[in-house]
Amino acid sequence: MSFLPTIVLVDDEERILRSLRMLFRGRAEVLCTTRGADVVEWVGKRKVHVVVSDQRMPEMTGIEVLREVARVSPATMRILLTGYADMDAVIASVNEGEIFRFLEKPWNGEKLVAAVMRAAEIAASSLERPLIAPAPAAPPIALPSRKVAHALVLDAQGGVANLVRQIMPESIRVSVAPEIGMALDELVTHDVAVIVAVMSSEAGDIVDAIKQLKKLRPATLVIAVSSMQDSRLTISLINEGQIFRFLLAPPGRELLRRCLASALERHAQLRLSPVLAERHEVEESRSSQVTLSGRLLDVWRRLREGATRA
Amino acid sequence: MSAVIANRSQPPGAAAARPSQGLSALLRNTQALDPLTPVDSVADSMLDSRYAGLLSLPVVRGDEPIGTISRYEMMRVFLMRFGRELYGHRAIETLANRNALILAIDTPIDEAARLIAERIQSPITDDFILVDSGGRYLGTGVVLDVLRAMDASLAERSSELERAYARLKSSQLQLVQSEKMASLGQMVAGLVHEINTPLGYVRNNVEMTRNTLGDAGRLLGAYEAIHRSLFEESVEPPADLPDRLAEAAELRRRVDESALIDIGELLDDSLHGLGQIAELVDNLKNFSRLDQGLLQKADLNQLVASALRIVQHVMRKRDIEVIFQNGELPEIPCAPAQINQVLLNLLNNAAQAIEHEHGRITVRTQLMGARVLVLVEDNGKGIEQKHLERIFDPFFTTKEVGKGTGLGLSIAHQIVTRHNGLLRVVSRPGVGTRFLLALPVAAREVRT
Ligand SMILES: Nc1ncnc2c1ncn2[C@@H]1O[C@H](COP(=O)(O)OP(=O)(O)OP(=O)(O)O)[C@@H](O)[C@H]1O
Ligand SMILES: [Mg+2]
Repeated sequence: MSFLPTIVLVDDEERILRSLRMLFRGRAEVLCTTRGADVVEWVGKRKVHVVVSDQRMPEMTGIEVLREVARVSPATMRILLTGYADMDAVIASVNEGEIFRFLEKPWNGEKLVAAVMRAAEIAASSLERPLIAPAPAAPPIALPSRKVAHALVLDAQGGVANLVRQIMPESIRVSVAPEIGMALDELVTHDVAVIVAVMSSEAGDIVDAIKQLKKLRPATLVIAVSSMQDSRLTISLINEGQIFRFLLAPPGRELLRRCLASALERHAQLRLSPVLAERHEVEESRSSQVTLSGRLLDVWRRLREGATRA
Repeated sequence: MSAVIANRSQPPGAAAARPSQGLSALLRNTQALDPLTPVDSVADSMLDSRYAGLLSLPVVRGDEPIGTISRYEMMRVFLMRFGRELYGHRAIETLANRNALILAIDTPIDEAARLIAERIQSPITDDFILVDSGGRYLGTGVVLDVLRAMDASLAERSSELERAYARLKSSQLQLVQSEKMASLGQMVAGLVHEINTPLGYVRNNVEMTRNTLGDAGRLLGAYEAIHRSLFEESVEPPADLPDRLAEAAELRRRVDESALIDIGELLDDSLHGLGQIAELVDNLKNFSRLDQGLLQKADLNQLVASALRIVQHVMRKRDIEVIFQNGELPEIPCAPAQINQVLLNLLNNAAQAIEHEHGRITVRTQLMGARVLVLVEDNGKGIEQKHLERIFDPFFTTKEVGKGTGLGLSIAHQIVTRHNGLLRVVSRPGVGTRFLLALPVAAREVRT
């Protein structure tokens, strides 16, 4: 392979580093360290395509490292590789780390290589451009006032929908769908910038729908609001659904407002340079092919046709 | 009332009576004597089998009780000189004991027993009269029945007490158990991480080794084919020799010497990782064998080391320096899993007490006389004087709701006491805390 990306590995166990270095031998230029601070320094000084970080480390946690990386070098793709996923870490990895993949130890060699190399490719194209995703550490505070986009709230209860309506300026169209079928209709007919999806315990359909949707419309950003503290589900939403934010229900008003503002801003950027949408590319769903019911599949077909025509 | 009357026809069931139940179970349907009945005929009646077992007979006008006439009194009269002649024709009410004990049917048995005890005389000469709430005669009761009922109820109460005690004990055990579960739960996160880390590189290393060995195998095959085609098949070099050489060169590039050296290193790492996993699993096994700690010989240094291993991730995360100075110790008889729990509680408390950046926890072990000592010392915030005497109390905690159960030290204390050991503390607020755990080298008897 002619393209030799630079990847940085950080883990407090040196044997992990040794093992991973071997794995990427001949595939990438690999820099290893046990200290998060080194990583932040490196990405500031040179072109780094991907950072793969452990979560639990003594000085800086993986999320802290990745958050700093995003600030210093937003084009660098971020992957978390961790031995234990507690819910707090999973949520923070979405909201603060804006990671590309959440991977677990022990890892599958082939899949890890595939994910890292794909991330490196994507990073290569963003690293070429001056314009790049904003740092998640400094989210925009103001909601855009121009009429930019549609927001869709998928909410059976309506509480979150009301909150979103109150938060959004009038210029932004907010539509509410109490169930997934209606939400999909809305998606077919409008270019939706952001979806707030409220998930309860029977959210299987919604989860699948998000994963499918992101495949077709990577520029549509998803804010998941869930009452389920299920780290496994959340990880699959990261990897296969590339959710933009994850909030525990009920979401605080200010937090939701900031998430919506960031999402709208990010969406505007993605529309400006569609190549950036690659950065939100999803992993092929493991469970899928697909649990969606016939009616939903029908809507998907329409969506897909629309997508290919566009 | 009808219930009471129905009861009257039943044989007295003293044992069935419960202390709170009243006297109805003891009620005897004794036919009362009219006050005007002559003493002579009363004496005859007393021989009647109906009145067998009664010390005295009730004297009742209509349904108003007048008193009782006891066999003792009758005997006294009849034993007097000319007693029968003097008294025989008189009305029985002239001899009746007008101070007889009259009890309402709903008097609780223990209350009845108290009233009886107040006026008991030796020998017991009288039974008592039972009346309804309007004071109307219902029947009689026998002192002995009351005593028997009391006795039964005491027995019942003490067995109730025993049951309550047993329940308490087992619920305490459950508490201990749930405490274990809680701390186990906290530790699972850490342990899973600790296991998955070595598992991660071991698995990867093995995969890579397999791939490299596959390449090496193919390389050997390629060499052999070249060798054969060069030396065996013909004198002319075969046509595909360049292809074969190219294949071999490509494989050779992947399986170079450095790759084989790397593999040696990766396998060493893997062995180390497997050792670590084995050790963790071992610790986990020790830790989970908490049910009823078997009495074993154990090396306290090893217990400390394994407890330190379990809390290691907490310490590392909080950047706490841990120093372990182990002295020479004999093995001592103890329930290792329980001692483990004590150590974990002390270590967790120490870690939680440290709120600054330069945390240090020192664990020292040493043999002193007939005791093995473990000192756990931290430079945390210390314990205020007014809290010192309460820290071993169950549920005493200064931690936020949900953070601490306040059970850690009380359980630790319990365990140590059962081992005939000591758990002591000295602390200086703002400076640190030292816990001293002392266990006898030769246990007398350990009640686990
Ligand atoms: N090393 C220590 N330094 C300072 N305070 C301590 C230390 N060990 C115990 N304490 C005090 O003693 C109290 C009781 O401790 P104990 O272990 O019984 O319960 P806890 O630690 O609060 O709760 P849990 O053990 O369930 O986490 C603590 O809340 C704390 O105030
Ligand atoms: Mg404690």
